[in-house]
Amino acid sequence: MPWRRFVNWIRKIFSRRRVIRLGLYGPPNAGKTTLANKIAIDWTGEPVGRVSEVPHETREVQKKERVVVQVGNKKLIMNLLDMPGIATKIDYEEFMKYGLSKKEAQKRAKEATRGVIEAIKWLENVDTALVVMDSTKDPYTQVNITIIGNLEARDIPVIIVANKIDLKDAKPELIREAFPQHPVVEISGLTGKNIDLLYEAIAKYSR
Amino acid sequence: MEIDMEFISSDALRDMDEKKKIDFIIRRIKKGKIIVIEEGLSSSEEAKLIEETMKQIDEKFPGIEISSLRDGGSEGIRDKLIRLLGGRTSGLTVIGPSRLVKKIRRGRHKIMLKAEKR
Repeated sequence: MPWRRFVNWIRKIFSRRRVIRLGLYGPPNAGKTTLANKIAIDWTGEPVGRVSEVPHETREVQKKERVVVQVGNKKLIMNLLDMPGIATKIDYEEFMKYGLSKKEAQKRAKEATRGVIEAIKWLENVDTALVVMDSTKDPYTQVNITIIGNLEARDIPVIIVANKIDLKDAKPELIREAFPQHPVVEISGLTGKNIDLLYEAIAKYSR
Repeated sequence: MEIDMEFISSDALRDMDEKKKIDFIIRRIKKGKIIVIEEGLSSSEEAKLIEETMKQIDEKFPGIEISSLRDGGSEGIRDKLIRLLGGRTSGLTVIGPSRLVKKIRRGRHKIMLKAEKR
């Protein structure tokens, strides 16, 4: 949107150091919170949120404000926004497979549906988006396409994070093939591999 | 084993606004139908469909599986202009209840779906 670009341009002129609202988007269990924690711990010493193998652990937007990242001679100030995973289905029975009681599973499912709605509403309020994908899975899913399509429609810079490259089955090249129109950074949020490349990409593409 | 499918012409949706279109789709999915629409949904419609699905999820309805193909892969200025002028863009959308659609995969120019009734 030209108007959004214009507003960002004016902001840049009047504030020497703007805070970038960096949204971490993606499907559940792509490693968004692991990555947000990695960034936050690297630069503030504190994590953003709890990580779990049970899907939809993050059920509301988790924030870490004013994370200052040094990239070369450039200083980035970011508000990290770790979004709940976006999905088209949430079946409480899936949670019961992880040992949750029916009541706990239904509560988690209800909270997760609210989280998805919240994540979608926040699309209006991010300056740059990291779309986090699990490199061991098919990237060409409707959820990924819908997230990216909505960010493109709002003219929000997208950096695709091909996460979990530490895993044996990782095929980050499939992510590059699926979304050639956006920069793709191959990383492991868990081990920190290539995390510097991600910081460089944020510095380069953020508006 | 019976699976109920409905093929919907884009003419059927032409005069509907976004909300009506989403309600029309969800009503059918909740009846256990797989629907195939003769057009791709816009990114905004897809997001609204996910939001509305989330609001309606309960014990009996855990959600949807969806795949949508648009002409050229993404919604460009051409598509937006055609829609604005009341025209129709090519594409295809397949949506079904997640309890019925076991797998949906999308290629650049095709959608593959596997359904199974419990």
